[in-house]
Amino acid sequence: MSSHRVDAKVVMLGKESVGKTSLVERFVHHRFLVGPYQNTIGAAFVAKPVQVGDKVVTLGIWDTAGSERYEAMSRIYYRGAKAAIVCYDLTDSSSFLRVRFWVKELQNCEEHCKIYLCGTKNDLVEADRSVRQVDYHDVQDFADEIKAQLFETSSKTGANVDKLFQKVAVDFNSTAFQVLTEEKGVDLGQKKDAYFYSCCHH
Amino acid sequence: MEADVHNTNAPVENGSLAPVDRLRHERSDSPTPGLVEGTEPGAGQDSAMFVHAQSFEDLTADDGEQEQELSEEGTDGTLETQEQESGESRDGGGESGEAQDTQAEEEQEDEEAQSSGGRDKEEDVTSEAWRRHRKHVFVLSEAGKPIYSRYGTEEALSSTMGVMMALVSFVEAEKNVIRSIHAEDYKVVFLRKSPLVLVGVSRTRQSERELTRELLYIYYQIISLLTLTQLNHIFQHKQNYDLRRLLAGSEHLTDNLLRLLDRDPGLLLSAVTCLPLPSSSRDVISSSLQAAKAKSLVFSILLAGNRLVTLVRKKDQFLHHMDLHLLFNLVGSSSSFREGEGWTPICLPKFNTAGFFHAHISYLEPASDLCLILVSTDREDFFNLSDCKRRFLERLRRRSAYQALQEALRTPSYSVSQVGIAELRHFVYKSKSSGLYTSPEIPIPYQSEEEQERLMGLYQYLHSCMHHPTRPLRSIYRCGERENLLAWVTSGFELYLCFSPLGTKEQAMAAISKLLKWIRKEEDRLFILSPQTY
Repeated sequence: MSSHRVDAKVVMLGKESVGKTSLVERFVHHRFLVGPYQNTIGAAFVAKPVQVGDKVVTLGIWDTAGSERYEAMSRIYYRGAKAAIVCYDLTDSSSFLRVRFWVKELQNCEEHCKIYLCGTKNDLVEADRSVRQVDYHDVQDFADEIKAQLFETSSKTGANVDKLFQKVAVDFNSTAFQVLTEEKGVDLGQKKDAYFYSCCHH
Repeated sequence: MEADVHNTNAPVENGSLAPVDRLRHERSDSPTPGLVEGTEPGAGQDSAMFVHAQSFEDLTADDGEQEQELSEEGTDGTLETQEQESGESRDGGGESGEAQDTQAEEEQEDEEAQSSGGRDKEEDVTSEAWRRHRKHVFVLSEAGKPIYSRYGTEEALSSTMGVMMALVSFVEAEKNVIRSIHAEDYKVVFLRKSPLVLVGVSRTRQSERELTRELLYIYYQIISLLTLTQLNHIFQHKQNYDLRRLLAGSEHLTDNLLRLLDRDPGLLLSAVTCLPLPSSSRDVISSSLQAAKAKSLVFSILLAGNRLVTLVRKKDQFLHHMDLHLLFNLVGSSSSFREGEGWTPICLPKFNTAGFFHAHISYLEPASDLCLILVSTDREDFFNLSDCKRRFLERLRRRSAYQALQEALRTPSYSVSQVGIAELRHFVYKSKSSGLYTSPEIPIPYQSEEEQERLMGLYQYLHSCMHHPTRPLRSIYRCGERENLLAWVTSGFELYLCFSPLGTKEQAMAAISKLLKWIRKEEDRLFILSPQTY
C-alpha cells in the first residue's frame, strides 16, 4: 500500500485501549474526546502535513485496532512503514508486554521501520504517582537496546504529543535524504555488477 | 454434528417463496388485485438490488431446524396453549389488552434497571433486576465456555451457560435437537450453529421462530468479524478456546444489534428503508457512484444515518439485506469511522462465510450523517478506494447534487399526516420485490423508548401471525385499548398499520387502498426504483 499523497507511512501499534486513537486525535484535530471508550474497527487512516524546516512532510498515519482479532491483518498496516509508534499505557503494566511483541514483530518484518515508544496517559501519573505501573528508566533501557526513542505523552493535556510526531517527521526527513544519496551510489554499482555478470554469461 | 443430520431431512422450503404465495392469494379479494409481486408500489423497475430472498420464509429456510418437528416432552402442549392465546387477541379481547399493559409496565421497570449506564456489565446476575430483563441472549462454545451475554458478565454466568450446554448435549445424546423450552411467561430458544450455541431467553410475545431468527442475526454478527472458516479452525485446534479474546471490543456491536432488533422494523421485515429524495437527485448520486469505480469494488453504499441513499453493485453480485443490516450496525454503533478513513476486514456471511471483504468506510464530511461504504475484494486497495471516494465527491459537487442531498437530509422522514388518513398513526409498508420499506416518523404517543419498543412489539406480534409456519394469515385486525392494528399481506407487499383506538374496522379497511395510492404517488421519492450496477 503506497500513495503519492503521503511522504511517510506511520503506523500506531499497541494493546487495545492504551489510547492510540486519542493520540492521533490530539495530534490531527487538537482535541481530546471525553466519552465512553470506543474501540477502533480495523484501522483508520489520516494524512497530516508537518512542517520540517522549509519543507512539508505529509505523514500518513495508520491508527490500527488493538484487538487481537485484527492481528493477522496487521501486516498490511505496517508493511512499508517508515515509523512505528508503539504505545503502552503508563498505568497498565500488561500493556507493556504487548510492546515487546510488536517490537519483535517489527524487527523481524520491517527492519527499516524506525520505532518510537510512547507511554500514554501521563496526566494520570502526574495526578497520582502511585498509579504508574511502568518505570521510566526500565523503558529507557529497553529503548536504548532496540535503538528506539521514548516519549511519555498525555493526549488529554496534549503534553509531548506534537513533539513526538514532529520528531517522527524530522527523522524521516533526514533519513529520506540519506536513502536518496545512498541509492544513487548503489545504482551505479549495480550497473557495473550487471555488466559484469552479463559478461560472464556470454 | 447430530444436529446437522437432522437438518437435512427437514422440509426446506423452496428458494423462492413467491409462487406458493401467489397461489394462496389468487383467490383472495385483495383491495387492489393487480398488485402482485413486481408491480406493487416501490417495486424496482429493473433488477432487484438484493439477493432474491426477500421473504421471511426464505430467510429462515436456511436455518433448517425451523421446520423440523421436535417431539420434546411437553413442548407440544405448550404450543397449543400458545395458539389459543393468539386466537383470543386476534378477536381483539380487552383481556389481551390488559396483558399488554402489565407487560409495558414491566418494560418500564426494565428501562430503569438499564438506565444506569450504556453497558452495565457489573450487574448482579443473582438479582431480581437481572432476571426481569425482557430478553437475554447468551452465546457459548460447544465446550460450554461463555462467549457473550447481553446482561451481566460472562464469568458470573459460566455455570448457567454450563447448564445450557448440558441441556443441549443431553437431548443430542438421544439423536434429537433441543429447540425451545416454554415455561410460564418465558421462552427459551436454542440455536445450534456448530461450533457455537446460541440461547435466547425471552418474556416478549415473539414467536419461537422470530427469536431463533434474532439469534441467527447474532450468529452472523460474530461470523462477520471472524469468518466461519476461522471460527471452525480455532475450535478444531482448541475446543476449549476462549473466543472472547478474539471478540474483545465487539460486545457493543452485538449489544447494538440487539437494540436494533427491538426497534428497527427493517430487521423484522428483512428490508431496508431509503432517504426520501427526488428521483432525479438520486439518479445523479447513483451515477456518480457508478462512475467512481475500481476493479476490486463489489458494492458502493451511501448511507444517511440508518437510511439507504443509494447502492451500486457489481453486475451479477447481490447484497443480502442481512449483510447490509450488519454493515448498518457496524457503522451505526461505532464513532471510530469519524476519525479518518476506516479500512477494515469484514465478512458478509450471507454472501460468503469463508472470506473477508475489505471495507473502506468514511463520512463524506466530518460532521455529516452521510457515510460511504466501499466494499472491495482486495485488502491492498485502500488508496485506490480512497481515490474513488474523492472522485465521487468531486462529481457530486460538480453536478450540484450534493446540495440536493444536504437538503434532503434536513427532512429524513415524513409525518403520517401527509398521507391524510384519519385516525392513522403509523404504518410500515414493504415492497416485497425490491426489499425496501417505508414508514413515517414515529408519532408522539410512541416517541419514548419504551413506547417505541411496545409499538415494535405489536408489529412483531402481527408479523409472527402473518408468517406462522403452519397457519400463516393474510390479514389481521386487532383492537386494543391503546390502538387498533391492521396487517395485510399479499404476494407483492406487506403492510402494517396502527390506528388510534377511535378508528373503526371499516375505516381501517378503506385506509389500505388510500395508502397504497399515496405510496404509488410518492414512490419515486421513497424508494430506489432504478438500482445501478458498475
